[in-house]
Amino acid sequence: MSALDELRQLRRGGVQVRKSDNRAAFWFLAPWFAGLLLVTIGPVVASFALGFTKYNLIQPPKFIGFDNFARVLSDSRLHNALRVTFTYVLVSVPLQLACALGVALLLNRGLRGLAFYRSAFYLPSLLGSSVAIAVLWTQVFGTDGLVNRLLGFFGVEGRGWISDPDTALSTLIVLNVWTFGSPMIIFLAGLRQVPEVYYEAAAIDGASRWAQFRRITLPLLSPILFFNLVLQIIHAFQSFTQAFVVSGGTGGPSDSTMFYTLYLYQQGFSRFDMGYASALAWFLLLIIAAFTAINFWAAKYWVFYDD
Amino acid sequence: MLRGVRRGTAWAVLLSLTASLLAACGSGTEAGADLTTEKVTLRFTWWGADDRHKRTQQVIEMFQRKHPNITVKGEFKEWNGYWDSLATTMAANDAPDIMQMDELYIASYAERGALLDLNEAKKHLDTANFDQKALATGAIAGKQYGLPVGLGMYSIMVNLDLLAKYNIPVPDDTKWSWDDLRKIGEQVSKAGGGQVFGVQTPGINDAAGLSIRARQQGKAMFDADAKVVLPQEIARDYWQYILDLAKSGVAPPPSVSVEKASAGLNQSATATGTAAFGLWWNTQLTALTAASGAKLKLLRLPGETQGTSPGAYYKPSMFWSVSSRSKYPAESAAFVSFLANDDEAAKVLLTERGVPANQKIRESIAGQLKDTDKAAKEYLDTVPVSDPPRITPNGASTLDTILKRHTEDVLFGRTTPDAAAAAFIREVQSEVDAAR
Repeated sequence: MSALDELRQLRRGGVQVRKSDNRAAFWFLAPWFAGLLLVTIGPVVASFALGFTKYNLIQPPKFIGFDNFARVLSDSRLHNALRVTFTYVLVSVPLQLACALGVALLLNRGLRGLAFYRSAFYLPSLLGSSVAIAVLWTQVFGTDGLVNRLLGFFGVEGRGWISDPDTALSTLIVLNVWTFGSPMIIFLAGLRQVPEVYYEAAAIDGASRWAQFRRITLPLLSPILFFNLVLQIIHAFQSFTQAFVVSGGTGGPSDSTMFYTLYLYQQGFSRFDMGYASALAWFLLLIIAAFTAINFWAAKYWVFYDD
Repeated sequence: MLRGVRRGTAWAVLLSLTASLLAACGSGTEAGADLTTEKVTLRFTWWGADDRHKRTQQVIEMFQRKHPNITVKGEFKEWNGYWDSLATTMAANDAPDIMQMDELYIASYAERGALLDLNEAKKHLDTANFDQKALATGAIAGKQYGLPVGLGMYSIMVNLDLLAKYNIPVPDDTKWSWDDLRKIGEQVSKAGGGQVFGVQTPGINDAAGLSIRARQQGKAMFDADAKVVLPQEIARDYWQYILDLAKSGVAPPPSVSVEKASAGLNQSATATGTAAFGLWWNTQLTALTAASGAKLKLLRLPGETQGTSPGAYYKPSMFWSVSSRSKYPAESAAFVSFLANDDEAAKVLLTERGVPANQKIRESIAGQLKDTDKAAKEYLDTVPVSDPPRITPNGASTLDTILKRHTEDVLFGRTTPDAAAAAFIREVQSEVDAAR
């Protein structure tokens, strides 16, 4: 019996799960449970409590009620951080998904050496949030960097892209778009699921390529698009490393790369205000939850499930 | 076979884990007690560049030869990462035993109870050869939270090779003004043709520059009660000056300045020979000479004779501090004492951390100094100074980054010097208030 059959039977209640199996499973999972409790749930609960305190990391926390949450409303640097983060999310995610879908469509046409291209395009998304790539970025977009050399070749005068507040955020957006590999792989898998007969039938009816894409590919792919959208938005809200490394931890120049998470980090570890940082972490959770809820609500109107 | 190997590894891991747990449960010592004869490990952390790491490691080995039962584990970082990681380890109750501490942070850590009063470990820490005034720079409310390591002074570093190349005479620094600096910078920029500039943009990595401006006019950044008393006009003039430098091409374009300033000493305009004048600590002469390969000279600050008093002062370049939660305060103090007083150690460390605050050591190493170190020492011995400002108060340790942001806002035209001055003063005050 294959594993899949076994699973099916399990779902139908056809198989009695032995108690000893349960116990064994528990012990095998125990290290993971321990990690979850100690490293994830513990700090999450603690940060909720700390959100109501003034806590400087060294002396014991002091209860101050809702002061930290009230400060969220009046903190103008936080509002700037929110603007930067929203710009980053709302510009980079659609661009990234468009690239991912575009390349997936190209790759789906049965290219020779597909495995190679797939890996080549996927690679950046493995590296994208690493420190090494962020360091590379500062070189590529620096005053004497690759981009300026290229521009110089065409006679265009470059500038310090990362050290100019007007362009610094754009370099981070480009970095995020460049990591389109992981949604691309998921799109590619989705494209493989679209039955070929639909296209054949449409072609016989004289539908153009564009019509085929709009009427067949897009609707059938919409659940996958939805999945990628939700995932990448959450992911983008949590971006930290790129901004931290590129700006040397300052969020500069002029707070132009001050991501929400970076601001939160600075509050906790540079200003020693862990209470406010904890409150900010929970506020971010609310923002992400709101975005995800909106996404799910909107999904009713554009996501098509072919059941 | 394979299984045997795996099991062996598992046991080894388990044993080492148990061993480290047991070590962590060791009883520890009192600050005033005798040195232990048991095997102990101290953790020692500092910031700096490669040269410092090599010298410090050498001194650690010398100490370990004298105390075979004490192992000192060095942990070193760059300035920025250093403070992030120190805060994190403090929060995790895992702070290193001995820390290199800075004037900017010492009050923030001490007033939160993170540092040991070194007087408790007097028995192991010899401070006889320190000037009382120097010691006082590391004391808060009568408690000695840091032992000053070296002294430094703010200076203008000039690239003599560049001036010679463009046939510009070295300015007379005994009575020059900030205007004189701008004018000579203009000559350099004109001759440099867009490749070399007159003055490296100040105000990005050096909050001390603003403080110096205030001091020259008899004012200060903070008063004794940690209130921000910096007059808004002084801050406004400071940023107006920086803006004028950038606009007139005396300093490099803003984005170049910001990029170079955040890339560290070796990438700075002074080190890359792309600016003739720069504000630096006098003790950085050696490192910058090595990095630039040019002939550099220390000049006095401009504006020292036009105002009411000299802005220059002796700044403790850094302190040695011991964590209040150290399990081995006595041994840590003994190590600090070795760093500060041992002749052999001094011969290795020389003036890399500033001209030694220990007066006996300062004289004993005088004969071994390189030309650049000698010049730094001579600068310290001859340039007129006034009393040092108060220690940066608790909460204001982000002063430098606040200043940098406002400088960027001004340079990129996002605010005016006047608005930046007002916002800066308000922001620093609120940081100090928030830490209370």
